[in-house]
Amino acid sequence: MGVRSASSSSSPTRREMYQKMSASSSSLVGSLMKTWKSSRHSSAPDSSDGNIEAMQKPASFLRRSTSHTSPGPSHIHMSPLRKSLSGSANKDKSHHHVQKKDRYFTDLDEDWSAVIEDSNTPIPMTSNGGIELKPAVTVGSASDKDQSVSRSVSASASYPNLPRLNKTQSTGLKSQYEQENERKLQELNALMHRVAKFDLILHPPNGNQVNLSELRRLSWNGIPMAHRPRVWRLLIGYAPANIKRQATLLRRKRQEYRDGVALVFSKEHTRDIPTWHQIEIDIPRTNPLIPLYQNPLVQESLQRILYLWAIRHPASGYVQGINDLVTPFFQTFLTEYLQPAQKEDVVKLSPDTYLTHEQLLDVEADSFWCLTKLLEQITDNYIHGQPGILKQVKNLGQLVKRIDSDLYDHFARESVEFIQFAFRWMNCLLMREFNMGMVIRMWDTYLSETSLESSGSESSSMPATSDSSLQSSPVAGFREVSSSLNLQSKHATAGSNRQTSLSEFHVFVCAAFLIKWSDQLMNMDFQETITFLQNPPTKTWKETDIELLLSEAYIWQSLYKDATSHWR
Amino acid sequence: MNSALTSIKLVLLGEAAVGKSSIVLRFVSNDFAENKEPTIGAAFLTQRVNMGDHTIKFEIWDTAGQERFASLAPMYYRNAQAALVVYDVTKPQSFIKARHWVKELREQASKDIIIALVGNKLDMVETGAERKVALEEAENLASQEGLLFFETSAKTGSNVNEVFLAIGQKIPLKSAQQQQQGQGSSGLRINDDSRVDLRAAQDGPAPSSCNC
Repeated sequence: MGVRSASSSSSPTRREMYQKMSASSSSLVGSLMKTWKSSRHSSAPDSSDGNIEAMQKPASFLRRSTSHTSPGPSHIHMSPLRKSLSGSANKDKSHHHVQKKDRYFTDLDEDWSAVIEDSNTPIPMTSNGGIELKPAVTVGSASDKDQSVSRSVSASASYPNLPRLNKTQSTGLKSQYEQENERKLQELNALMHRVAKFDLILHPPNGNQVNLSELRRLSWNGIPMAHRPRVWRLLIGYAPANIKRQATLLRRKRQEYRDGVALVFSKEHTRDIPTWHQIEIDIPRTNPLIPLYQNPLVQESLQRILYLWAIRHPASGYVQGINDLVTPFFQTFLTEYLQPAQKEDVVKLSPDTYLTHEQLLDVEADSFWCLTKLLEQITDNYIHGQPGILKQVKNLGQLVKRIDSDLYDHFARESVEFIQFAFRWMNCLLMREFNMGMVIRMWDTYLSETSLESSGSESSSMPATSDSSLQSSPVAGFREVSSSLNLQSKHATAGSNRQTSLSEFHVFVCAAFLIKWSDQLMNMDFQETITFLQNPPTKTWKETDIELLLSEAYIWQSLYKDATSHWR
Repeated sequence: MNSALTSIKLVLLGEAAVGKSSIVLRFVSNDFAENKEPTIGAAFLTQRVNMGDHTIKFEIWDTAGQERFASLAPMYYRNAQAALVVYDVTKPQSFIKARHWVKELREQASKDIIIALVGNKLDMVETGAERKVALEEAENLASQEGLLFFETSAKTGSNVNEVFLAIGQKIPLKSAQQQQQGQGSSGLRINDDSRVDLRAAQDGPAPSSCNC
């Protein structure tokens, strides 16, 4: 259609993006994008990451990206997002159907659509080049082996064309079995490398400063469970980068929290009854399906945290949704007191079975301060009228209009308003859309994003970090990637002064999330759309799905930087 | 599609945690969950009810109760044909809030909106909790303002369906049938509501105009 092609000349459309990505074989998309993400920071791709296979791909990926207008092999690849259109499950909505045929079926053959039928199923393990981190998966664990075997099996079942691709691209005549073994070994190596890297960053051999830029770069792709509590405290600017000062500051802050609680619950303080009441009724309704949050001790802790925060932030006060936001912190800080093998059980165990009252108060205090830090970045979401959320919803609409105008127009035709489904996405940072494990993985990335902004504004209250001296290398890397993408003009400035915010990145994640379902949504009326978006099929999502979503969001953010400069 | 179908846009309003979402869950799925996550923004659900030869489809917007979200409410009650104003019979504060909602609806919503006042959590009174909102007080409000009135328990299911049936009976079927005919002649999906008309208008001449 005319409109579509006109817009594609100025900025890449969704379909082109996915053409590019599927051109490099769908299972590699995740790792490619993550590689792009990380290589923007360091000029030399660091293959000691264990991400060897993926590291070899960026060049070809980028080459394809620049030549997306010329007809080439990539042209036969259809957007995986449009796959369902070819299915017989299509409802008979003739005028839509015809339109879409015009737009998307001109250069397709039937076989391809069959091949990509399952492309929306979870990306197999092989895709992320060993980046996935499951610290509980200890070296040589049997379940790990089973998992990766079964995943490779499902991979070959879902992607019948992939083994051939892999062979031609990398290992030639090696058997599937050998490849699997190699892959497992790579994954294991990658895991150990990453754990070692985090160890090294958190305990720098020469000096007392934790390199926060490096920590962010690494954390964006996920944090090992064992390191997560310490890293989160650093990323969000609660714990200082100076190792020597960490213990002192944490002790002081934890005491400060205890004093605050003592004051607020003392006789001198008049209880704010409506606030207290609201929190009281919401606590049992917080993550009601996770046993941890039905534990009376935990409920009391959360109630104290939320009440103290509300009292200290009267402009906002307690707003429903904040009760959700505190829980990833609380749960993560609890794991610090559990043995590695038990960390996954944090959702089941009663805290008093493994920590003392004082330790629970420390967890509570850390959760309070980290929640405070997080909410500092999104204050506008919860003040009267919630202008931050309204603005984000508006930005999401504009973004989708540019990235996927078909979907935007479809929503307009069906009278679907963004606020009807996206309000909750903003108010709860998509926490209601994913299970807790996925949310926590998502927050590894989110907290890596927040700190970019807070590191500047917090410098007065927090000890100086070593950021400034380390700005040059990530930027140089980013420029290099940008220029290969032929997007230099857009990104050189953005790269050298990359000011981002959690709110902004979150809008891109929401856009990526919405567009993920674009195909299905195009066939839905108002009622089906709202119902679907209220209950998206994310229950089976794995870390790889979340990582793909975050990577897509990152790419959209890079491509549409110019479109969003006025957001701030 | 033999029986005539009427769509009713219905909105639930009321203080947080009075059981709005639970009433809807009971009506739509005949289910109950002790601790339901607080609704953020609003939730949308539908349910069809057969009334004689007539089918009514309820399109329900279940709004968030917390005061901070109240500014969103007009978006949802603006075009509503019916509203459930819910309070908790054990929480006097929630009845005060219900009065406010009734007043706001009378002032801001469409003039012929059908309002049902619903005192929920009746099961708690029956199991020993103290009733804090007298039946007479609520009945008085209902008669003054011309509201339907029910006391319900989403937990036991008591009286929940009755609320929706009563609303269904009060909806003027004549206008609904006209709407139905209008849709039928336009050749668009028959079991949809006025949004179809809107889209037909946006797309240009409706198929029916070809006959002219």
